[in-house]
Amino acid sequence: MILSRLWRGLAGLALVLVVAWAAAAAWTGALDLDHGAWAQNQGTVPGNVHGTSNDADFWRQIRRGMPGKVSIPNPQAGVLVQSQGDNWRAIRNGPVLFYGGILLLASLAAIALFFLIRGRIRIEGGRSGRTIPRFSLTERIIHWFVACTFILLGITGLFLLFGKHLLVPIIGKAAFGVIANASLQCHNLFGPLFIVGIVAMFLVYLRDNGFNMVDVRWALKGGVLNSGHTSSEKNNAGEKIWFWMAVLGGLSLSVSGLMMEFPWWPTLELLQWANIAHVVVALGLIAVAFGHIYIGTLGVEGALEGMTKGEVDVNWGLEHHDLWAEEVLAEIEASRTKRRSDGYVPGVQQGSPAE
Amino acid sequence: MTFLELTEGPLWYVAATVFVVGAAWRLLGILRFGRKPDLSVPRASAAGGAIGAVIRHSLPRHGFAERTAYHIIAGYMFHLGLFALLLFAAPHITFIHDRLLGVSWPALPRWGFIVVAEVAFAGLIMLWVRRICDPVMRQISDADDHAGTWLTFLAMLTGCLALQEGNDVLRGIHMLTVEVWMVYFPFSRLMHAFTFVLSRGYMGATYGRRGIAP
Repeated sequence: MILSRLWRGLAGLALVLVVAWAAAAAWTGALDLDHGAWAQNQGTVPGNVHGTSNDADFWRQIRRGMPGKVSIPNPQAGVLVQSQGDNWRAIRNGPVLFYGGILLLASLAAIALFFLIRGRIRIEGGRSGRTIPRFSLTERIIHWFVACTFILLGITGLFLLFGKHLLVPIIGKAAFGVIANASLQCHNLFGPLFIVGIVAMFLVYLRDNGFNMVDVRWALKGGVLNSGHTSSEKNNAGEKIWFWMAVLGGLSLSVSGLMMEFPWWPTLELLQWANIAHVVVALGLIAVAFGHIYIGTLGVEGALEGMTKGEVDVNWGLEHHDLWAEEVLAEIEASRTKRRSDGYVPGVQQGSPAE
Repeated sequence: MTFLELTEGPLWYVAATVFVVGAAWRLLGILRFGRKPDLSVPRASAAGGAIGAVIRHSLPRHGFAERTAYHIIAGYMFHLGLFALLLFAAPHITFIHDRLLGVSWPALPRWGFIVVAEVAFAGLIMLWVRRICDPVMRQISDADDHAGTWLTFLAMLTGCLALQEGNDVLRGIHMLTVEVWMVYFPFSRLMHAFTFVLSRGYMGATYGRRGIAP
């Protein structure tokens, strides 16, 4: 009796153990339950799901950017790991950021040094009181349109590029998040307007920005660094170089900017190069723009008037752009001579009874 | 109370009250001037002259079309863009539905909003640049003109910056700039949004009665 009960108890326990082992074996996929992970032991996938391929090779292929198949319209989503992204991040956050920052600081330092040495370049002969037309209303409007958009894009771009490193330690991540979010929206919004402006600027300013020997002589004499007189046309070589930098740089910024604004169009690799090119060109243009702004405002007396009022003092014209000023003065004189020969008397209305 | 709650709550009601009462006060003040009695025999309809003047002065006029093309194009770009943003931006429609009128209408898609914003900004910048570049415009412009332009620019800009609607601070800043704009509106030339009809209509009626189409 006792033996019979003991036997049934052991049989029941054995049955429970067998069921538990079967469940565990089914769960793990292995008959010996103390077996380690298959991938760790033999480099094959449990259950031989992927055939006989090596798991390390499999992940190495993915790490190298081998595309898989996806059912969504974006084929780029088939690349699980785009390893070039690491290079892009390292370049952007490394040398581009570091040397870009140095470039901007060097530009500001050079301007400050130049100001300390030369001071404000005055009109040597003083103001004559007579003015000559320099930039038309169309030229001025396009210049300021491009300037407005460039400044907005420059400020927001610098926030996006340097903000994480310069602003976060001061204002914190949350506040920088607000600024970065706003900067990105602003940057995307004004980018297309800058493209329109730069194309208009190219068309309107092109005719005065072709290079010739006068520019070579101007440059060889030291350009703006030369304290003596150097002949130049309406635009000197420095201004012409700045024009072509702005146009070609603007074109580069436009193309790379459009790529980033419509990221589903180029490949990821192209997008990363576009981003690097965008940042490098923008930093270069901002650094030179500092000099342009300095010369146009504080650096040279009377220069800003050409772009605000459209007219400059005659003496300013003769000192800085003598060939152009003499041409304009000759045209004005020829016009006066013609009007006098036509019987025009200053101060008397043509066809009035007094005539 | 959060910054957004402040700007969407008490400050909004203060700004809206100043805007409505101030603009109504200015308009009533103008209307109270009335019109000098004209005892002459009318040659044509004064009302027709008023309506005609409002329409004609909104169109390019032959003889001046080329000279006025810039500010007419820029003016329409900015004003039409601004009204499209004001009335058809999805967040504005939601605000009007929830807070003001209880009605709504179809909104611009996101790409449409961006295109309209680009056009409006281009127009506003073109108008302001002309104001500082054109010798005559510069002479007749004063601080009020520049303040009105800049406030409008900031209200539009902060609105676009808050476009993603994911950030309460940006939304609050937009509300604040709009409220400053609304408070400034009745006391400035921004009132031209309402008074242009009165000034053109008055001139059109006066001349229209004499049979002249100004």
